[in-house]
Amino acid sequence: MALTAEVLGMLAFTLLAFWGVAAWALVRTLRQEGRKVEILERQERMDTYSPAALAELREWVENNPDDPLVDEARERHNECVEVLRQTDRHFYDWSDGEIDRLERV
Amino acid sequence: MADVPAKTARAEWGTRFGFLMAMIGAMVGAGNIWRFPYVMGNNGGGAFVLAFLTLLFVLAVPGLMAEVALGRYTNKGVIGAFRDVVGRGGMVGLGIVVLLVNIALMSYYSPVIAWTLYYAVHSLLFTFTATGFEAEPFMTGLFDNAALMIGLHTVVMGSIAAILVLGIRRGVERLVVYAVPALVIALVVMTVRGLTLPGASEGIAFTFGVQWEYLTYSDTWIAALGQALFSTGLGWGIALTVGSYLREYDDVPLGGGVFTALGESSIGILAALAIFPIVFAVGIEPDAGAGLAFVSLAQVFPEIPFGGFVAILFFVGFFLATFTSGLLITEVSVTTLAEETEFSRTQTVLGVCGGIWLLGLPSAYSADILDYLDFVFGNWGLPLAALMIIGVIGWVLGPERLRLLAVNQNAGIHVGRWWNPVIKYVIPAVMLFIMAYFAWENFGSAEMIGGMLVIVLFPIIGYAIMSVVEGRGGQPDTAEIPGGDD
Repeated sequence: MALTAEVLGMLAFTLLAFWGVAAWALVRTLRQEGRKVEILERQERMDTYSPAALAELREWVENNPDDPLVDEARERHNECVEVLRQTDRHFYDWSDGEIDRLERV
Repeated sequence: MADVPAKTARAEWGTRFGFLMAMIGAMVGAGNIWRFPYVMGNNGGGAFVLAFLTLLFVLAVPGLMAEVALGRYTNKGVIGAFRDVVGRGGMVGLGIVVLLVNIALMSYYSPVIAWTLYYAVHSLLFTFTATGFEAEPFMTGLFDNAALMIGLHTVVMGSIAAILVLGIRRGVERLVVYAVPALVIALVVMTVRGLTLPGASEGIAFTFGVQWEYLTYSDTWIAALGQALFSTGLGWGIALTVGSYLREYDDVPLGGGVFTALGESSIGILAALAIFPIVFAVGIEPDAGAGLAFVSLAQVFPEIPFGGFVAILFFVGFFLATFTSGLLITEVSVTTLAEETEFSRTQTVLGVCGGIWLLGLPSAYSADILDYLDFVFGNWGLPLAALMIIGVIGWVLGPERLRLLAVNQNAGIHVGRWWNPVIKYVIPAVMLFIMAYFAWENFGSAEMIGGMLVIVLFPIIGYAIMSVVEGRGGQPDTAEIPGGDD
């Protein structure tokens, strides 16, 4: 029995959508892990938030001053800012200009 | 965070790969091997794949991110994590619900692991390719032999205890980093063997043929929903427990969400590619459940070249899939009870495994009891546990807080605000829908009554236990993290 183009197409799509994405995620996360290890071998601390995530965290802290978790969120934000200022190598894609513009909350 | 005395420094995964394999090892179980391929082929093939993939991304990936993140944020097992969110008092009993469901699940899953162990051992003895072998009498011979089943159940729980006693890194991690790749390699080799058989293309056509009209059938979406939610182990407390052992700078959403959901499902796809070409090449009707693995497939091995070796690959791989799941399901109770009591990890492992062994005796004795419990907990117990975990994140902790404080911290991918309504509204609504749907479908049956008892009694039992345990010595504390407003 010869397989139709539709069946072969679906087989290829399925393999790509599942195995392709899973393999991409595996390789990406293991490479990131390697990079984190490399950074932590050279310095004790590392940036913990991407620019987008840190901006959201800052916005939330400013908009929710009475939230019971605001101190914890502020601490995490400020810790990331300090680390970015004090270290040379960063995990996330931070430019010098972005780091200069960062402020504690 | 609430004060729970720490006995020792908390364990952590030794490597990123160890964490990822633990997630996959936990989530890939019997359902991936004996259910997924058949459900896929029987529900429109490619159409089912599209429905399944959609639900995987909409529900399972975000849900797993939330569960792993809660474990990582609190660094505690199920009960401790719930206490951190809802505060001391009876409401911590919602975590007990998750624990009870897990213990019940493992009590009947251990005999299933025992079946796979029995077949794996017989594959190594080349029983399936021996002259005069008959699959059906062989299977019923096992199921009807209560002493043998109880013995195998004992071996399974004893083996799980022996590994769990060694701890997270020296026990669980050391096993899964070999077992999961071994399962994948076994299925790949089996796939190559199957695809090179004459007539194998019929199996591919059955599984991957696209019947678009199935996308308009509610049954297709219900089947895809069940597969997307329960195959990925969302809301069972496993992802929470595994996540609680993450290290300081570890990512949650990429590994715990995307990789786990897609990787786990990929093994189901691989199982379909491994099994159906062989089944169709030999001209046997496919089946679902134990019938597929233990009858249909067992019949085909004598008829294909190198069948004895293919049988070893399949049944040893199948055993590894079920065994690693059992290991992590049991770890949920071990982690939280070791934290919550004065017992050492070794004592807790022995207590938990002994308790599960005892509760599993009826399922080991009778496959009918196992089927009943599987139906009750699969349709109502597991959705209830998932509702507890996702509900507490969505409605007490608040998804926005968890997203900012844990999901996106050290993350390999950025998770946007779209995630919040999925956790708060969509997943809880789906869980309620599943429970209501199956109650409606099985209205008045013994299974439905059992399911309703679970839904009503488990929360009451959990609340009562924790009210007594936590309430001693005065008024319950207020929550550490009172309700989110997002």
